[in-house]
Amino acid sequence: MSSALEIGLLAFVVVSALATALLRDVLGSIIAFSAYSLGISIIWVFLRAPDVGLTEAAVGAGVMTVLFLLTIAKTVRPAGEKTIERVNVRALGVTIAFVAVLSTTLFALPPVGAGDSAVVTDDVTRYYLENAYTETEVHNAVTAVLAAYRGFDTLGEAVVVYSAGIGILLVLHKEVFE
Amino acid sequence: MIDALSVRLYYLVAFVLIGIGTYMMIDKGNLVKKVIGMNVFQSGIFLFFIVIAYVSGASPPLLTAPGPYVSPLPHVLILTAIVVGVSLTAVALGLIVRIYGEYSTLDTEIIREVSDDE
Repeated sequence: MSSALEIGLLAFVVVSALATALLRDVLGSIIAFSAYSLGISIIWVFLRAPDVGLTEAAVGAGVMTVLFLLTIAKTVRPAGEKTIERVNVRALGVTIAFVAVLSTTLFALPPVGAGDSAVVTDDVTRYYLENAYTETEVHNAVTAVLAAYRGFDTLGEAVVVYSAGIGILLVLHKEVFE
Repeated sequence: MIDALSVRLYYLVAFVLIGIGTYMMIDKGNLVKKVIGMNVFQSGIFLFFIVIAYVSGASPPLLTAPGPYVSPLPHVLILTAIVVGVSLTAVALGLIVRIYGEYSTLDTEIIREVSDDE
């Protein structure tokens, strides 16, 4: 059972996601998305994931908003008279079908917060929690897994970020062969 | 039914967020809004992952706190995924700026018409 605060937070997140989808103005959509990211990062704190919450608040609500704002500053912001966009019935139909298919799995999932779910009782989880401090001397198990046990994953992530940087430089580079 | 649903509310919200992201990616003509939709879709998946790691009454995976702890593994995967998502968004927005320089519009319909004419 979730507390009233959690239900309110989830409602805020869903409403700001709907606002992101339905606002006609791109700037309005970006601002609603930023509020949405902030709400999600508070949900991470409720779900005992403070590292993810910090990253989401800094990167999702911060860097991402700046990137979107820079993009519309460099391109256009189509103006319209209406505030809310008209709902596209065909897209909505596809979406509802998709969500319905996903929801068929809903009652097969373990209840939220169950201590005996497969992820929580898994050997890998237990190994990390029992041995992270003795093997890496880091008190934060997330940091220990990120930097030590799954160091190659993090190296791959760094490669992705590096290639993204190179990609942006290539894409935005003005060609001057004349 | 209602009880079974209320203990799985987080999953339902994750599915709804994935749905909203899908709707934005299908429906929107504006490329920037398509990218925002992709981000909403992604965070729906992130919510699903973090929820399956959660144990009610447990501490965050900081080993100085008393146990039991939530599972640290999905947290690590999602941290990586958030950073990769930002890289993806940055490249997509770079391409959008370039497309705007080429076509002077961000509307997919107009871009399709213009590129068909060429």
